[in-house]
Amino acid sequence: MPRRARKTNGHDSERAAAAVRSFWSGTISFGLVSIPVDLYSATRPRQKSMKLVDRDGNPLGRRYECSKEGKRLANDDLVRGYETDSGKLIVITDEEFESMAPEESRDIELHSFVPFEQIPPIFYDRPYFLAPSGKSSKAYHLLSEAMQRSGRVAVGSFVMRGREYLVAIVSENGVLRAETLRYADEIRPPKSIGLPKRAKANSKSVNELRKEIKALRKDRLGVAELEDREADTLQALAREKERKGKDVIEQYGLEEEAPEGGAQVVDLMEVLRKSLSKRASVASAERALTDKSAARREAGSNGKRSGNGGRHARSRAARSEAKLKQASKSELEKLASDLHITGRSKMDKAALLNAILRAR
Amino acid sequence: MPRAIWRGSLRLGRRRVPVKLYSAVEDRTVHFRLLHTTDLAPVEQRIVRKDTGKEVPKEDQRKALPLSRSHAVILQPDELQTLEPAASRDVDLCRFVARELLSDQWYDRPYYLGPDGNSDAYFSLVEALERTDLLGIARWVMRKKRYVGALFLHDGYLMMSTLRRADQVLSFSGIEPAKSAKPTTNELKLAEQLVSSIASDFDPTAWHNGYRKRVCALIEAKARGKKLEPVKPKRRAARGDLAENLRASIAAAREREVA
Repeated sequence: MPRRARKTNGHDSERAAAAVRSFWSGTISFGLVSIPVDLYSATRPRQKSMKLVDRDGNPLGRRYECSKEGKRLANDDLVRGYETDSGKLIVITDEEFESMAPEESRDIELHSFVPFEQIPPIFYDRPYFLAPSGKSSKAYHLLSEAMQRSGRVAVGSFVMRGREYLVAIVSENGVLRAETLRYADEIRPPKSIGLPKRAKANSKSVNELRKEIKALRKDRLGVAELEDREADTLQALAREKERKGKDVIEQYGLEEEAPEGGAQVVDLMEVLRKSLSKRASVASAERALTDKSAARREAGSNGKRSGNGGRHARSRAARSEAKLKQASKSELEKLASDLHITGRSKMDKAALLNAILRAR
Repeated sequence: MPRAIWRGSLRLGRRRVPVKLYSAVEDRTVHFRLLHTTDLAPVEQRIVRKDTGKEVPKEDQRKALPLSRSHAVILQPDELQTLEPAASRDVDLCRFVARELLSDQWYDRPYYLGPDGNSDAYFSLVEALERTDLLGIARWVMRKKRYVGALFLHDGYLMMSTLRRADQVLSFSGIEPAKSAKPTTNELKLAEQLVSSIASDFDPTAWHNGYRKRVCALIEAKARGKKLEPVKPKRRAARGDLAENLRASIAAAREREVA
């Protein structure tokens, strides 16, 4: 019952391709069409998570004790209480919590379809993948394709682990992703922090900064800047000690206790190959950014979504006018959406082409 | 008013912009204390040996990095200390890239940046960034930890969001639906119609955390010695022919619009 921090899964030396946790099963309600899905974490834990041991390497764990009796408590002996301002304790039972967020509804209810670029990054919370779980994946593909064509994402809400989440369902490369969003009242407006009113900037210093930005401008992300140096140094130290045979714990007994709430570790690629497409493949951004040949392929493809670099590839293609003229209207619409061209939904093909050429 | 959590200096080539860092999000979660069911005394946590259940004091606790399921290496406190990055107030802007290159999956926690001292350099950077569609990738050390972040504008102010690391962010390719799972042209057309019939602009103020509200209401009711009606689970959507359901949904969406 008490929700502890999720245990991470950093101890596989070979690191399975995409071992992530499975969190939730339910249904997306797209109008009257139900799309059964399973929800998986879309991020891997960092490889720096360490376990608590004693000086001799014996694994340690947490135990709950009653502060009054000093007695060891099992999960069944625990209840949650809210302390009011006057110090009064209001006990809320598990049944009451459950009734506040009836998990049996098991629905991601879609409220509306909005242009993705209208959701500021400040709202992004945690990303998950959705895999079809029913007999047929047809309705899943249908929603994915329809959203991709419209350039919109679905905003909805659902209940998971006794909490209600606001979520944006994003279609990318034929896979549906669920990015949980912060609620508006969880975001501080600049005023509440007391940031000063905008003052007119000195144009000389604006120009100097603009020059620096231009000098630092690159076409691609750099993997060296985005890698996990903290984890790398920890791993290096541990490996070195292992070679020297210092402080090594054998038979560590790391078999994880059954995770609470039923979150299972699964291989995401396996899941998607089974449920979605035999040729599905998964890559971390680290691999995608390192793999130069993949980068070239992406840059050469015109209008096809492919990984984190896909949009970029499209904007590069946009520089080539000749290629653009051969593009279909829906390809142009996608490009226009990537370039944040306003009023694109009302443009015909020629107007779209012009706007894209102007924007680049 | 929330206080700045850190002070630093953005470094863009030879230029510097002194800034203060403020958390941009507010924890609205209703927090509970864990209590012992029978006497409602607060619960305390003890760190114990898993096999014997004996408590282990802080000074005897160590951290071990697992290298496989069967072995781990203890990293001693003094060794961990040598790995700590050198303290610095510099936030290095490594590069500027098109915003689209970072998908939502990278973003972790957002912070406002405010000017530290003279605000001219700060608002100059705001103006310089405003005319581009770029974001900056930054690295810095804060409280003995390394961070990677994205610098961009929000509401006319500089914002820095910490980023997840490159080996955490996953993406898929090669999705080709089997023939039997491919939607027909007609189904796609209807689905697109349904999308556009429920299309709108993103309005974050339209959504409220209903669960949080209900929990607060329950606490209040119980404090006054009252009971609260449980929330009824929602009905499941209808099942049947895909195209039929799409048509019915579009009709329902239109009706809502007229009403």
